[in-house]
Amino acid sequence: MYVIVVGGGKVGYYLSKHLLDRGYEVTLIEKDPRRAEVLNSTLGEIVMVGDGDEMAFLATTGMERADVVVAVTGDDEDNLVTCQLAKRKFNVPKTVARVNNPANVRIFKTLGVDVALSATEVLLDLIESELANKETAGRSATQA
Amino acid sequence: MGLQFMKLVIVGCGRVGAMAAIALSKAGHQVTVIDSNRRAFDRLGDNFAGEMVLGNGIDEDVLRQAGIESADGFASLTNGDNRNIMAAQIAREIFKVPRVITRIYDPMREDVYRELGLNTLCPTLTGARQIHAMLKG
Repeated sequence: MYVIVVGGGKVGYYLSKHLLDRGYEVTLIEKDPRRAEVLNSTLGEIVMVGDGDEMAFLATTGMERADVVVAVTGDDEDNLVTCQLAKRKFNVPKTVARVNNPANVRIFKTLGVDVALSATEVLLDLIESELANKETAGRSATQA
Repeated sequence: MGLQFMKLVIVGCGRVGAMAAIALSKAGHQVTVIDSNRRAFDRLGDNFAGEMVLGNGIDEDVLRQAGIESADGFASLTNGDNRNIMAAQIAREIFKVPRVITRIYDPMREDVYRELGLNTLCPTLTGARQIHAMLKG
C-alpha cells in the first residue's frame, strides 16, 4: 500500500514513521528544504521537497498510484486543496485531512474529502463525555 | 450583473479587493469586505460606505458575520490561492451564494477548479497573454 503524507511537521513526521514501521510505502512531502533535510536524515530517503498543492509537483510524486493521501499541514485551506486535487486529478481512492478549525470538518466532507479529522473536536468530545460520566456517577452516588 | 442593487461580500482587502469594493459601493451596492489585517482597510479610504469585518475569510462564523447568508454575490481576492479556493467553495456549496468569483494565480490550479465549476479569474494567464499581444504590436 502506497501512502503520501503532505506536511512534515510533528504530525506528518510521526505518522510517516509509524507507517514505515508497519511496512507501508511512504512518501512525505515537505515545503521547507531545511526541514526536509532533517526529516530525510531520520526517516530515510522518503521525503520530497515541494508544494502539496502545486499540480506540476504532485505529478512527480507518483500520486496516481497512491492508495491514500493524508494532508496534515497546519493550514486547513492547503489540506483541503491537496485532498481535492488528489481525488479529482489523480483519482486517489481515499483522502484524509487534518482540520484545525473544528467547524471545517463538516465543510471538508461536503467538499469531497473522505475523512476530516480535528484534534480539537476529538478532545472536546472526550472532555464532554468525561464530564457526562462524572455527572452520572455523582448523581447515582447521591441517590445511593 | 443587472440593474438591481446587490448585497456583496468580498474577502481580501488588497489592491484589487479594495478597488472592487470602492467601485461597487459607489455604484450603490451594499458591500462588506473581510480581511484579517485591520490596516488593510486603510485602502478603502475615509469615504467608503460599505462595511468592514476583521477576520479569516475561510471561517464560517466570520462569513456569517459579514452577511453571507443573504449575499447575492461573493468574491475571494486574498493573495493565497488556496484560501480563495476554499472561501469560494464555502460560499457556493455551504451558503449557496448565487454568484461566486475567485482569483487563482496558479494557472494549473485555476484550470482544475474552473473544470469543477468555480468562476475563476487568473491574472497570471490574462497578464501574460496581454503582454504577449502588446509586444507583438
